[in-house]
Amino acid sequence: MRLRGIRSFGPTLWGIALFLVVLAGTAPWIPVFLLTVLIQLLIFSTLAYSLNLITGLTGYVSFGHVVFMAFGAYALAFAVGTFHLHPVAGVALGALVGLALALGIGGVTLRFRGVYFAIATLVVAVAASYIVLEIKELGDGQGIILNIGFEPLSWFYTIWVILAIEVILTYWITHGRIGYGVRSIKSDEDAAKALGVNAARVKLFLYALSGLFAGGAGGVYAWTASGVFPQAFDLTFSLQMLAMIVIGGMGTLLGPLIGAVAVYIPSYIFLTVLIGFQFIIIGIVVTLIALFVPEGIVGSLRKYIPELRGILE
Amino acid sequence: MADVALFMADLALGLLLGCVFAVIAHGLNLIWGVAKVVNVAHGEFIMLGAYGAYFLNLWFGFNPLLSVPVDAAIGLAVGVGFYFGFLHRELRGKESMGLQSEMVTLVATFGLALFLINAVQALWTGNNVGIPWSPGVVLVGSIQLPLGGLYVAIMSVAIIGLSHVFLTKTYLGNAIRAYSQDIPATQLVGINPTFTAAVGTALGFCITMAGGALLTVWLPTGIFPAMGNLYAPISFVIVVLGGPGKMWGSLVGGLTLGVIINVGQLFVGSIALATAIGFLTLIPVLLLRPEGLLR
Repeated sequence: MRLRGIRSFGPTLWGIALFLVVLAGTAPWIPVFLLTVLIQLLIFSTLAYSLNLITGLTGYVSFGHVVFMAFGAYALAFAVGTFHLHPVAGVALGALVGLALALGIGGVTLRFRGVYFAIATLVVAVAASYIVLEIKELGDGQGIILNIGFEPLSWFYTIWVILAIEVILTYWITHGRIGYGVRSIKSDEDAAKALGVNAARVKLFLYALSGLFAGGAGGVYAWTASGVFPQAFDLTFSLQMLAMIVIGGMGTLLGPLIGAVAVYIPSYIFLTVLIGFQFIIIGIVVTLIALFVPEGIVGSLRKYIPELRGILE
Repeated sequence: MADVALFMADLALGLLLGCVFAVIAHGLNLIWGVAKVVNVAHGEFIMLGAYGAYFLNLWFGFNPLLSVPVDAAIGLAVGVGFYFGFLHRELRGKESMGLQSEMVTLVATFGLALFLINAVQALWTGNNVGIPWSPGVVLVGSIQLPLGGLYVAIMSVAIIGLSHVFLTKTYLGNAIRAYSQDIPATQLVGINPTFTAAVGTALGFCITMAGGALLTVWLPTGIFPAMGNLYAPISFVIVVLGGPGKMWGSLVGGLTLGVIINVGQLFVGSIALATAIGFLTLIPVLLLRPEGLLR
């Protein structure tokens, strides 16, 4: 006998909520070193959920997602460095910049399908990084160094709020009315259009949301790094986000979180041993998963253990 | 007057550079045209070709032009391996590539790219290396052209021309073109689809790695594990500009991009901005002429 309210949201959302609430409740007592690791993990989870919104839900592979994160980071660094805004306002600004950029890029590139979309996003991201690194006001290719103290708890609660909103929105999108449209676009866009789904608007909505959250995550990233450097445009970030949702399970509610833990924590351990070695392993794992179990961890569990289908999503 | 001379010099350099861009994109074009697959790890195979030329120079004193055939032979073997490792499962028994298969190959080759970059970095460090080979300059009118670049341009055009002859004049080449147009029909006339697709993919890798060797002439100190992050987007843009599957398209796209980057830097004052502009030409071309500049 289950409580009606709990039943209606599903155990996965409750599980994630419990995890986040426990994290938030214990954060002030977590040792600072561990807390900074957790903050990075939450930033990567936010990025993974944001890529999941477009790539996982609609099947449009975006290779240039790092551009939103980098613009968010640059927006925070510029606003805080030049106008001495409060960093939280900077994060909000970063999110808005990500949103605006996603509307601009998505308005054009979402007309292309499949590989053309993937290539267009990649090329736009590379071109944008070249342009930003030439702008004098944005550090002229050297980045912007800020001097805003070390406050891990503020970082933690900011990224926590962003991630919590993002997970709830993902749930709302997959379970609400718009979810039918999203799923129909993923399986057959032409059929979806014929049935009256406004595919262009749904895709742009998802892309804009994903830009918003990636921009916010980028803002927090720049805040924790107390500055922004051209490395923020490194395509490795795009690749890590994609690796996270591929490993965790594309288009699922729990997948990006599992993927972020599975990719980030080993990276963190390897980082102290042999730099770059983690990517050799991640590369092999991503290739094998894409070829042999394209559903990822969560998708495979659902596929092979029928009892879990009602619980995991 | 001086400006005109500068413009002409940059135009000539852009055309030379465009030829080598064309040949590195040509390999991608072949794989894309035949197997309908975009190899995200394309830049990494260019990088491997460049490292191949570097080591042949280091061990045997080969100049980059001599290492082209060796790289090409390695590329053939790598291409066959790639076809059976990555594409065969998705292509086998299918008449066309669905979006689902397309996504699988995109993500799988992206994993391969991540692996290759970091494996090379672990093996041979992330430091920039280069091949000390410069055969001097030649004076054409009042323009100084690097002789190495000229040789490379001639070889690039020759490679593209040879691949064109192979694809249009030989039985196997015709089979590959037929496969790229209509798979069930090729099977009806008794062409083995697996063999044909494998040869087409191998040919693409052969040209890609040869192109990596040719590229080293332009990069006196520019061979490093992540170099593919620049040359893969360049190749993607060129193939889309020329039109995927159109063999002369690579040359048209390559020359266009080479000229935009080299002449553009005269006007915008920096090579990075000019490259960005060259990349962004992709968007209007995709919007207005999705089949590419060539008819």
